[in-house]
Amino acid sequence: MQNELGADNLQIIAVAIDEDVEKVKAAAEGINYPVLIDAQHLLSELYGISNVPTVVMIDENDRIARPNWSASGNDAFREFSGIDSDRQHDRIRRWVREGDAGTTEDEARAAVPDYSADDEAAQLHFRVAAELRRRGDDEGAARNFDRAAELAPHDWTIRRAMLPLRGEDPFGQGFFDLYGEHQAAGSPYRGLHGY
Amino acid sequence: MTNDLALIDDGPLINTDALPESLGWALKDEGLCRDDRCVLVPDRDALTSGDMIDVTAVAALLDRPALVDETSGLVAVGAERGQRRAGINQLQAPDFSLPNAAGELTSLSEYRGRKRLLVAFATW
Repeated sequence: MQNELGADNLQIIAVAIDEDVEKVKAAAEGINYPVLIDAQHLLSELYGISNVPTVVMIDENDRIARPNWSASGNDAFREFSGIDSDRQHDRIRRWVREGDAGTTEDEARAAVPDYSADDEAAQLHFRVAAELRRRGDDEGAARNFDRAAELAPHDWTIRRAMLPLRGEDPFGQGFFDLYGEHQAAGSPYRGLHGY
Repeated sequence: MTNDLALIDDGPLINTDALPESLGWALKDEGLCRDDRCVLVPDRDALTSGDMIDVTAVAALLDRPALVDETSGLVAVGAERGQRRAGINQLQAPDFSLPNAAGELTSLSEYRGRKRLLVAFATW
């Protein structure tokens, strides 16, 4: 998409909300736009991102043309930066070429709820946990991961991101359990679904 | 570029001299200052105790969330609430500066003047 729309003044910026530098490096192989690493989940907090992949469309003047946007239903993003469906591509093309993101201001403003105090605390506990883990304080890490999970049970940048940091497979049973819990809660997502 | 996060050891009371290094802000006569911004400190005594300063009180003045992990003494300070809210409520995209795998920093504002597709992903 960068190749297709670069000449029309689009710049893709991919950000991994992720601690695993090696895995991100591998994923960034051959990519012709910046692939950045957000190990401390700054973007989760700044943009209220609760799951990935999430796309935010930002115009030339730093206005958010279309906020936190996820693939709908069971659509999988083909690559971490790609958007699988033609309809999603079309929306992006229309925005880049015609300046129309097809999103009203009201819709955009209503899309992402602000962080509650619990959401804020959850992010902080996650960071503390990750740091304590780095320092070899496993008990301190567990204490803080547990608290983060309690405070933000539907934030996957917390619940799922912590699985590999706790020695669990993010594609294994822990993930399935999380997915089931998430679905039972109505699959909450902070942002826009669909095409 | 003030959108950063902090993890501070042995808090919440730290040496006032260590504040710039820990949080990027300095306590001056004008208040709490960073680059060309200063924030008024209405009650200096609520912030400091001798040579020491309470980073959670500083965070509150900067309208940033803060947390103390009592057992480890680690203090985490989050981003400015105003930045997040400007994005969510007023659609003003918060700036950020992050490294690639080689450690080179890129910021959102570096590409101002272009439409930007911010794609957040993960390997988990």
